[in-house]
Amino acid sequence: MLFITGPLYSGKRTFAARFGGRQIFDVQTLAAAAPDLEKLADELAAYDVVIATEIGGGIVPMDAGERTAREAAGRLACLLAARADCVVELFCGLPTVLKGELPKC
Amino acid sequence: MLTLVIGGAASGKSAYAESLCLQSPLPRTYLATMQVWDAECAARVARHRAMRAQKQFATVECPLHLDRLTLPQRGTVLLEDLGNLTANELYAPDGAGDNTAEAILDGLEKLAAQCDNLILVTNEVFSGGADYAGDTALYLRALAKINNAAAARADRVVRVVCGIPCDYKGGKKT
Repeated sequence: MLFITGPLYSGKRTFAARFGGRQIFDVQTLAAAAPDLEKLADELAAYDVVIATEIGGGIVPMDAGERTAREAAGRLACLLAARADCVVELFCGLPTVLKGELPKC
Repeated sequence: MLTLVIGGAASGKSAYAESLCLQSPLPRTYLATMQVWDAECAARVARHRAMRAQKQFATVECPLHLDRLTLPQRGTVLLEDLGNLTANELYAPDGAGDNTAEAILDGLEKLAAQCDNLILVTNEVFSGGADYAGDTALYLRALAKINNAAAARADRVVRVVCGIPCDYKGGKKT
Protein backbone atom coordinates (compact mmCIF):
# COMPACT_ATOMS: atom_id res chain seq x y z
CA MET A 1 0.00 0.00 0.00
CA LEU A 2 1.13 3.52 -0.85
CA PHE A 3 0.23 6.08 1.81
CA ILE A 4 0.08 9.71 0.68
CA THR A 5 -0.13 12.51 3.22
CA GLY A 6 0.29 16.26 3.06
CA PRO A 7 -1.47 19.57 3.70
CA LEU A 8 -4.82 20.53 2.24
CA TYR A 9 -4.73 21.13 -1.55
CA SER A 10 -1.08 20.10 -1.78
CA GLY A 11 -1.60 18.00 -4.92
CA LYS A 12 -2.09 14.57 -3.32
CA ARG A 13 -4.85 13.31 -5.65
CA THR A 14 -3.12 14.59 -8.78
CA PHE A 15 0.00 12.72 -7.70
CA ALA A 16 -1.97 9.56 -6.79
CA ALA A 17 -3.72 9.39 -10.17
CA ARG A 18 -0.62 8.02 -11.91
CA PHE A 19 -0.55 4.89 -9.73
CA GLY A 20 -4.08 3.62 -10.50
CA GLY A 21 -5.43 0.65 -8.55
CA ARG A 22 -7.93 0.90 -5.70
CA GLN A 23 -7.62 4.31 -4.10
CA ILE A 24 -9.33 5.96 -1.14
CA PHE A 25 -9.21 9.67 -0.25
CA ASP A 26 -9.80 11.77 2.85
CA VAL A 27 -9.38 8.89 5.28
CA GLN A 28 -8.72 11.40 8.09
CA THR A 29 -12.50 11.90 8.16
CA LEU A 30 -13.04 8.22 9.04
CA ALA A 31 -10.88 8.25 12.16
CA ALA A 32 -13.16 10.00 14.68
CA ALA A 33 -16.07 7.57 14.27
CA ALA A 34 -13.95 4.41 14.26
CA PRO A 35 -14.30 2.28 17.40
CA ASP A 36 -10.98 0.58 16.65
CA LEU A 37 -8.28 2.54 14.76
CA GLU A 38 -6.04 -0.53 14.35
CA LYS A 39 -8.87 -2.41 12.66
CA LEU A 40 -9.65 0.58 10.43
CA ALA A 41 -5.98 0.83 9.47
CA ASP A 42 -5.94 -2.89 8.60
CA GLU A 43 -8.99 -2.46 6.37
CA LEU A 44 -7.54 0.60 4.66
CA ALA A 45 -4.22 -1.17 4.11
CA ALA A 46 -6.04 -3.47 1.64
CA TYR A 47 -6.27 -0.52 -0.79
CA ASP A 48 -3.45 0.19 -3.23
CA VAL A 49 -3.33 3.92 -2.41
CA VAL A 50 -4.56 5.59 0.78
CA ILE A 51 -4.67 9.39 1.04
CA ALA A 52 -5.02 11.46 4.20
CA THR A 53 -4.90 15.22 4.62
CA GLU A 54 -2.62 16.45 7.39
CA ILE A 55 -4.86 18.39 9.79
CA GLY A 56 -2.70 18.41 12.92
CA GLY A 57 -0.65 21.52 12.17
CA GLY A 58 -2.93 24.25 13.50
CA ILE A 59 -4.06 25.57 16.85
CA VAL A 60 -5.65 23.01 19.19
CA PRO A 61 -9.40 23.32 18.52
CA MET A 62 -11.64 24.79 21.25
CA ASP A 63 -14.31 22.18 20.59
CA ALA A 64 -13.80 18.83 22.35
CA GLY A 65 -15.24 16.86 19.42
CA GLU A 66 -12.87 18.53 16.97
CA ARG A 67 -9.94 17.88 19.31
CA THR A 68 -10.81 14.19 19.47
CA ALA A 69 -11.24 13.97 15.69
CA ARG A 70 -7.91 15.66 15.06
CA GLU A 71 -6.17 13.37 17.53
CA ALA A 72 -7.72 10.25 15.95
CA ALA A 73 -6.75 11.42 12.46
CA GLY A 74 -3.12 11.81 13.51
CA ARG A 75 -3.02 8.40 15.17
CA LEU A 76 -4.63 6.78 12.13
CA ALA A 77 -1.99 8.34 9.88
CA CYS A 78 0.76 6.81 12.05
CA LEU A 79 -0.89 3.37 11.87
CA LEU A 80 -1.24 3.66 8.08
CA ALA A 81 2.36 4.76 7.64
CA ALA A 82 3.49 1.74 9.68
CA ARG A 83 1.51 -0.59 7.38
CA ALA A 84 2.52 1.13 4.13
CA ASP A 85 5.26 -0.10 1.80
CA CYS A 86 5.82 3.48 0.79
CA VAL A 87 4.92 6.82 2.41
CA VAL A 88 4.96 10.05 0.41
CA GLU A 89 4.37 13.59 1.62
CA LEU A 90 3.07 16.06 -0.95
CA PHE A 91 3.94 19.71 -0.34
CA CYS A 92 3.20 22.47 -2.83
CA GLY A 93 2.62 19.76 -5.42
CA LEU A 94 6.09 18.30 -4.80
CA PRO A 95 6.45 14.71 -3.52
CA THR A 96 8.95 13.65 -0.87
CA VAL A 97 9.34 9.93 -0.19
CA LEU A 98 9.46 9.45 3.60
CA LYS A 99 9.56 5.64 3.64
CA GLY A 100 10.28 2.85 1.17
CA GLU A 101 10.27 3.25 -2.60
CA LEU A 102 7.57 4.47 -4.95
CA PRO A 103 5.72 1.69 -6.78
CA LYS A 104 6.06 1.53 -10.57
CA CYS A 105 3.44 3.64 -12.32
CA MET B 1 15.72 32.13 -12.19
CA LEU B 2 12.53 31.70 -10.14
CA THR B 3 12.72 30.76 -6.46
CA LEU B 4 9.72 30.03 -4.25
CA VAL B 5 10.25 30.38 -0.50
CA ILE B 6 7.46 28.93 1.65
CA GLY B 7 7.01 28.69 5.39
CA GLY B 8 4.58 29.10 8.25
CA ALA B 9 4.07 32.23 10.34
CA ALA B 10 7.34 33.53 11.81
CA SER B 11 9.28 30.61 10.29
CA GLY B 12 12.12 32.85 9.13
CA LYS B 13 11.04 32.79 5.48
CA SER B 14 11.35 36.56 4.99
CA ALA B 15 14.84 36.76 6.46
CA TYR B 16 15.92 33.82 4.31
CA ALA B 17 14.41 35.29 1.13
CA GLU B 18 16.13 38.58 1.85
CA SER B 19 19.46 36.81 2.33
CA LEU B 20 19.00 35.19 -1.11
CA CYS B 21 18.50 38.66 -2.60
CA LEU B 22 21.63 40.01 -0.95
CA GLN B 23 23.61 37.25 -2.68
CA SER B 24 22.08 38.17 -6.04
CA PRO B 25 23.13 40.88 -8.49
CA LEU B 26 21.89 44.49 -8.28
CA PRO B 27 19.60 46.26 -8.81
CA ARG B 28 17.18 45.00 -6.15
CA THR B 29 13.47 45.68 -6.11
CA TYR B 30 11.12 44.85 -3.26
CA LEU B 31 7.47 44.34 -4.24
CA ALA B 32 5.38 45.20 -1.20
CA THR B 33 1.86 43.76 -1.10
CA MET B 34 0.38 45.19 2.11
CA GLN B 35 -2.58 47.51 1.75
CA VAL B 36 -2.06 50.66 3.76
CA TRP B 37 -5.25 51.32 5.77
CA ASP B 38 -4.23 53.77 8.47
CA ALA B 39 -1.42 55.67 10.17
CA GLU B 40 -0.18 52.55 11.95
CA CYS B 41 0.23 50.74 8.61
CA ALA B 42 1.90 53.79 7.10
CA ALA B 43 4.41 54.02 9.97
CA ARG B 44 5.21 50.33 9.58
CA VAL B 45 5.70 50.73 5.83
CA ALA B 46 7.99 53.74 6.33
CA ARG B 47 10.15 51.85 8.82
CA HIS B 48 10.46 48.79 6.54
CA ARG B 49 11.26 50.97 3.53
CA ALA B 50 14.09 52.66 5.44
CA MET B 51 15.47 49.28 6.58
CA ARG B 52 15.45 47.94 3.04
CA ALA B 53 16.95 51.12 1.55
CA GLN B 54 20.10 50.36 3.56
CA LYS B 55 20.21 47.02 1.76
CA GLN B 56 19.87 48.77 -1.60
CA PHE B 57 16.28 47.72 -2.26
CA ALA B 58 14.00 50.03 -4.18
CA THR B 59 10.46 49.50 -2.89
CA VAL B 60 7.51 49.24 -5.29
CA GLU B 61 4.01 49.01 -3.80
CA CYS B 62 1.84 46.39 -5.46
CA PRO B 63 -1.13 45.41 -3.30
CA LEU B 64 -3.30 44.66 -6.37
CA HIS B 65 -3.12 44.10 -10.14
CA LEU B 66 0.32 42.49 -10.39
CA ASP B 67 -0.49 41.78 -14.04
CA ARG B 68 -0.49 45.54 -14.78
CA LEU B 69 2.84 46.27 -13.12
CA THR B 70 5.78 47.69 -15.08
CA LEU B 71 9.07 47.35 -13.24
CA PRO B 72 11.46 50.33 -13.30
CA GLN B 73 14.51 48.05 -13.59
CA ARG B 74 15.52 44.40 -14.14
CA GLY B 75 17.89 42.64 -11.71
CA THR B 76 16.57 40.86 -8.61
CA VAL B 77 12.97 41.13 -7.41
CA LEU B 78 11.61 40.02 -4.04
CA LEU B 79 7.83 39.70 -3.85
CA GLU B 80 6.45 39.45 -0.33
CA ASP B 81 4.05 37.78 -0.07
CA LEU B 82 1.63 35.73 -2.17
CA GLY B 83 -0.71 35.15 0.79
CA ASN B 84 -1.26 38.86 1.17
CA LEU B 85 -1.65 39.43 -2.55
CA THR B 86 -4.24 36.63 -2.74
CA ALA B 87 -6.30 38.11 0.10
CA ASN B 88 -6.19 41.55 -1.55
CA GLU B 89 -7.30 40.28 -4.96
CA LEU B 90 -9.99 38.07 -3.44
CA TYR B 91 -11.56 40.63 -1.10
CA ALA B 92 -10.84 44.13 -2.45
CA PRO B 93 -13.82 45.63 -4.34
CA ASP B 94 -11.64 46.19 -7.44
CA GLY B 95 -9.72 42.93 -7.02
CA ALA B 96 -9.87 39.86 -9.28
CA GLY B 97 -12.46 38.06 -7.09
CA ASP B 98 -13.27 34.58 -8.43
CA ASN B 99 -10.46 34.94 -10.95
CA THR B 100 -7.80 35.59 -8.27
CA ALA B 101 -5.53 32.58 -8.84
CA GLU B 102 -5.46 33.02 -12.62
CA ALA B 103 -4.86 36.79 -12.37
CA ILE B 104 -1.96 36.37 -9.94
CA LEU B 105 -0.37 33.54 -11.95
CA ASP B 106 -0.64 35.70 -15.07
CA GLY B 107 0.97 38.55 -13.11
CA LEU B 108 3.81 36.27 -11.96
CA GLU B 109 4.59 35.28 -15.56
CA LYS B 110 4.72 38.93 -16.60
CA LEU B 111 6.87 39.76 -13.59
CA ALA B 112 9.31 36.91 -14.34
CA ALA B 113 9.73 38.29 -17.87
CA GLN B 114 10.69 41.72 -16.48
CA CYS B 115 13.56 40.66 -14.22
CA ASP B 116 16.54 38.30 -14.10
CA ASN B 117 15.97 36.77 -10.70
CA LEU B 118 12.56 36.49 -9.04
CA ILE B 119 12.14 35.42 -5.43
CA LEU B 120 8.60 34.78 -4.20
CA VAL B 121 7.67 34.47 -0.56
CA THR B 122 4.51 32.54 0.25
CA ASN B 123 2.65 31.10 3.21
CA GLU B 124 2.13 27.56 4.43
CA VAL B 125 -1.37 27.71 5.98
CA PHE B 126 -2.71 24.33 4.91
CA SER B 127 -1.93 21.93 7.76
CA GLY B 128 -4.46 23.10 10.33
CA GLY B 129 -7.57 21.29 9.08
CA ALA B 130 -9.53 20.20 6.04
CA ASP B 131 -13.01 21.38 6.89
CA TYR B 132 -13.27 25.04 5.92
CA ALA B 133 -16.30 26.92 4.64
CA GLY B 134 -17.09 30.11 2.73
CA ASP B 135 -14.42 32.76 2.30
CA THR B 136 -11.74 30.78 4.13
CA ALA B 137 -12.18 27.79 1.81
CA LEU B 138 -12.07 30.10 -1.24
CA TYR B 139 -8.90 31.75 0.03
CA LEU B 140 -7.16 28.45 0.78
CA ARG B 141 -8.08 27.00 -2.60
CA ALA B 142 -6.83 30.08 -4.46
CA LEU B 143 -3.56 30.32 -2.54
CA ALA B 144 -2.91 26.57 -2.92
CA LYS B 145 -3.46 26.81 -6.67
CA ILE B 146 -0.98 29.69 -6.86
CA ASN B 147 1.57 27.98 -4.61
CA ASN B 148 1.42 24.66 -6.46
CA ALA B 149 1.64 26.28 -9.89
CA ALA B 150 4.49 28.55 -8.77
CA ALA B 151 6.33 25.53 -7.32
CA ALA B 152 5.89 23.63 -10.59
CA ARG B 153 7.22 26.63 -12.54
CA ALA B 154 10.06 27.44 -10.11
CA ASP B 155 13.70 26.48 -10.61
CA ARG B 156 14.05 26.22 -6.87
CA VAL B 157 11.58 25.63 -4.00
CA VAL B 158 12.74 26.13 -0.42
CA ARG B 159 10.65 25.42 2.66
CA VAL B 160 11.84 27.32 5.73
CA VAL B 161 11.29 25.52 9.02
CA CYS B 162 12.39 27.20 12.28
CA GLY B 163 14.69 29.43 10.24
CA ILE B 164 16.29 26.42 8.49
CA PRO B 165 16.00 26.36 4.69
CA CYS B 166 15.08 22.90 3.30
CA ASP B 167 15.38 22.33 -0.44
CA TYR B 168 12.30 20.76 -2.01
CA LYS B 169 13.29 21.37 -5.62
CA GLY B 170 16.51 22.47 -7.30
CA GLY B 171 19.31 23.92 -5.22
CA LYS B 172 21.84 21.83 -3.40
CA LYS B 173 20.91 19.25 -0.79
CA THR B 174 22.13 20.36 2.60
